[in-house]
Amino acid sequence: MRLTVNGKAHEVDVEDDMPLLWVLRDELGLTGTKYGCGIAQCGACTVHMDGIAVRSCQVAAATADGTEVTTIEGLGTPAALHAVQEAWVEHQVAQCGYCQSGQIMQAASLLDMNPEPTDEDIDIVMSGNLCRCGTYPRIRAAVKTAAQKLQEA
Amino acid sequence: MGRVRTIARRTFLVGSVAIAGGVAFGTYMMQRRLPNPLEEGLADGAATFNPWVLIDAEKVTLITPHGDKGQGVRSAQAALIAEELDLEFSQFTTSFGEPNGAYWNRAFAEEGVPFKATDESFMAENMRAFVRGITKLISMQGTGGSTSMADSFDKLREAGAVARETLKAAASQQTGVPVDQLKTAAGAVVLPDGTEIAYTKLAATAATIEPVRKVTLRDPSEWRLIGKPMERLDILGKSTGTLPYGIDLAIDGMVHATVRVNPRQGGAMTRFDATAAKAMRGVKDVLEITGGIAVIADNSWRAMRAAEAVEIEWGDAPYPHEQDAHWQALADSFGEEQLDSMWRDDGDVDAALAGETAITAEYRSPYVAHAPLEPLNAILLVTEDQVDVWTGHQMPIMLTQQVAAITGHDADQVKFHNQYMGGSFGHRLEFEHLKQAAEIANQMRGTPVKLTYSREEDFAHDFPRHISMGRCRGTVANGQITAIDVNIAAPSVIGSQMGRAGLSVPGPDAQIAAGAWNNPYKIDAFRMCAFRAPELAPVSSWRAVGAPGAGFIFDTFIDELCHAAGADPMEERLRLIDHDASRKVLEAAGEMSNWGSDLGPNRGRGVAFVESFGVPTAEVVEVTNTDRGIRIDRVFVACDVGTVVDPVNFENLVQGGVVYGLGHAINCEITYADGMAEQSNYHAHEGMRLYQCPEIIVKGLENQTKIRGIGEPPVPPAAPALGNAIFAATGQRLRELPFNKHIDFV
Amino acid sequence: MKRLALMLTLLSAPALAEGENVTIDPPADGTVSRAEGLLAFARIYEVTSHPRCSNCHVGADNLPMWSGPSYGRARPHGMNINAGESRIGAEYVLCSTCHAERASLNDVPHAAPQVAMAWQLAPVEAEWFGKSAVEICNQLRDPDRNGGRDHLEIASHLDHDLILHWAWNPGGGREPAPYSLQAHVNDVLAWGVAGFPCEND
Repeated sequence: MRLTVNGKAHEVDVEDDMPLLWVLRDELGLTGTKYGCGIAQCGACTVHMDGIAVRSCQVAAATADGTEVTTIEGLGTPAALHAVQEAWVEHQVAQCGYCQSGQIMQAASLLDMNPEPTDEDIDIVMSGNLCRCGTYPRIRAAVKTAAQKLQEA
Repeated sequence: MGRVRTIARRTFLVGSVAIAGGVAFGTYMMQRRLPNPLEEGLADGAATFNPWVLIDAEKVTLITPHGDKGQGVRSAQAALIAEELDLEFSQFTTSFGEPNGAYWNRAFAEEGVPFKATDESFMAENMRAFVRGITKLISMQGTGGSTSMADSFDKLREAGAVARETLKAAASQQTGVPVDQLKTAAGAVVLPDGTEIAYTKLAATAATIEPVRKVTLRDPSEWRLIGKPMERLDILGKSTGTLPYGIDLAIDGMVHATVRVNPRQGGAMTRFDATAAKAMRGVKDVLEITGGIAVIADNSWRAMRAAEAVEIEWGDAPYPHEQDAHWQALADSFGEEQLDSMWRDDGDVDAALAGETAITAEYRSPYVAHAPLEPLNAILLVTEDQVDVWTGHQMPIMLTQQVAAITGHDADQVKFHNQYMGGSFGHRLEFEHLKQAAEIANQMRGTPVKLTYSREEDFAHDFPRHISMGRCRGTVANGQITAIDVNIAAPSVIGSQMGRAGLSVPGPDAQIAAGAWNNPYKIDAFRMCAFRAPELAPVSSWRAVGAPGAGFIFDTFIDELCHAAGADPMEERLRLIDHDASRKVLEAAGEMSNWGSDLGPNRGRGVAFVESFGVPTAEVVEVTNTDRGIRIDRVFVACDVGTVVDPVNFENLVQGGVVYGLGHAINCEITYADGMAEQSNYHAHEGMRLYQCPEIIVKGLENQTKIRGIGEPPVPPAAPALGNAIFAATGQRLRELPFNKHIDFV
Repeated sequence: MKRLALMLTLLSAPALAEGENVTIDPPADGTVSRAEGLLAFARIYEVTSHPRCSNCHVGADNLPMWSGPSYGRARPHGMNINAGESRIGAEYVLCSTCHAERASLNDVPHAAPQVAMAWQLAPVEAEWFGKSAVEICNQLRDPDRNGGRDHLEIASHLDHDLILHWAWNPGGGREPAPYSLQAHVNDVLAWGVAGFPCEND
């Protein structure tokens, strides 16, 4: 299969049903995308595929063939943070941090589709991403800060 | 020495027994300075002043031996050193260091004595000092029991001060300026004329002089870092996907492995057929390990899929196969023979309960999984004379011993490279996955093996929180609680956990009734008994260990008695409290929540107080009974850790603890059917989601003299406060967790 | 919101794909009695009220349901999911975020069901969840609420909509909808030939 990840073209030889998650992690070595549950319950594996948030554990390689994928590594870097990442740092959201790649990718997708989310919008969109440490109050605040940053940008 | 070590290791959790047994050894071993592991292989021109600070010509490295499971202790440990050493966060790197007795945990002893953590009497302090000696002697290095700050607070500031004073001495030697005219700031010694000499430029000289050990710690009024918001060292990495966890690491030549071990935990594998699995793409081998199989492949997913394709027959579990039998075992444990300890026996309880109609209630707290989001994993490389282990773990030295026992090496040949952990909640105190990884890697010497659990395997072997049952009786009169008799039965979590590590722990298990026996209430007729149920399914320490279960039982019963007496649940708790810092915590929660004010229709407010790990914690929960179920609106938390090191991280941890406590109280339990956990993934053991998260308002008090940790104490009061609030809103009393068995939540 | 509009067009377009081989062979006109038609509808109702079907045929609250013999009692889809008026989640989280399109069955227990078309709720006019047999009967034969379809067109719709096929082959240990797709198509045809009788007629 061929796919473009963070702007770079790749060709990998994998089974049609290997989840995109494992193509990214074990075949391409992009480990910012996390394995948490494998059944779309936790959202830790969220990436953007052709601009839309998907749980990469649920996307078969055959489905991802020919798509453009953005992972947390491609959203922003420590030297050039995406607005959502800036907000995550400012609010000191992470505890263990294992879910945060997925949280950030979902939040970026939310703000892309809906630049001024209401509290209810945030409660609906961000509830598919499980945080076992319970950083939800900070996630809510950081999404709002990020929305502001993007508006001002 | 060997015998003393064995005895000491077995008794570290029960100091009283050690004294009763008359373990005797000289004070020398307990008081001597342990060798500094950083001195080994120290490069020319590099200086180390103690096991926590290493400086060479290039950089300053701080060793932060407490494992970081998300609680931010890597930053907090570094901040303690940096406070005294005058370093900015950008001026040093950090390392978890190597397993070493020099990093023994001075605070583990706090939980190892049969005194309330808040008891600072001569007797209690003496006993703690004694047990501390033992934990040092047996190299008890580890992270847990919310001890990281208690262990580190003085020790690491002292380490920073020793390094600072030694660097000043080196600067004095280099420049001829007397030490008392030198200052330090931002990683440099500053001369009277303002000239700065970077620590790295002083390392070579400092290495040649004896560390200055007589130091004075700074007055809190001079603190630059402690008590102020800090940017955690890991926050950038964790916000950009660039910080690797154990599961993300790769070693050259590494193969991927996963296991399937009998989900009837501890049972045997009676037959397996790997023919189909071995034919699958990428599969290199299928190995037999204790109780199951391991698949070796070129990719984690291929290994997991092939593992499912192995046909296996499992033997029976060494515990009752059905959940009802587990509860029955607890119900049958309230007898004289199972009495583990009588923690309270004040007044004549039998007389008080005999003459009147006693109020009775029975409570249940279920098995609950830790289920941190990063599944268990480890990379092991076994060679002839060394074993390398890369994973995140809470007990470094025990890890090396457990791995060495499998591979046949000496423990000090096991090199452990600790990693940031994607959560733990007690899960990463376990060694079973490491023993399995060692079994696999030992069969493939020379090849690095990365073991990754599937989420389903992780749930099947979570070693959940133990179940507890409470049977309580009490009386009320004239608007007050007059007598109380609380009996709690549970299997011993310490026994189960230590048993898997090959250790036996004699004496009572304080965790059976933790969160209950150590309450600060003074009641004229008050009895509190812990009963040890037989060992059932394997269990292990779950965030706050005994206190979430026993605290739920005890505090809910207090609430029931308050209502039965017609007393205000806050006022009556305050009347009974006999500990100043605890009273202040409860009062603070009352003020924050505007306790007593009218909430309006269909709403209710509940309070709970539980002390765990020395931290009195009060929580007030507000709920609304909507037509779609109970909605949790707000939570007010007040707790006292003595000193708040970082108020931002502190608030985050308290909020997280409340979410953890509430989420599991709402919808989580592990139940057994046919000997196997029925819950295999988060769909059936969900915890709290963002939309259910209430507003959580936090206040940290600093009235206690000792510093305490905040990782666990916010968890235990959450469930009883929620149940008490639901009672206030609906009149329905919930005596069994999780609550969604009895009432719907939004 | 430009992207949102774009996705609505993209994802709500009917996906036509070849499914199982369903034979559409209606009984001859006049060969199905009213009683037989009612019996056929009774079986149709068993299908429409089965969780594999009714969970996505929900009302104007746009909240898909989770339930079923293999999954506990009926309750709203976890994670606070709301499919929005778009019925594909475009206003919040797209159904396709988890229910990706895939050619083969996603047979992992408890994972998101997936088929070779965009996952979505049925139109709100086709609300079945919690409805009585009589209500569904009248709704299914009402051209205003069934997409203007006669029985042959309903059968054809059953042939082409792969989400419907999934209901009889849900995988992952889920209990399938009763009977079979072909039997259900046969019942629809028989019911139509009988003149769409309902108990309230």
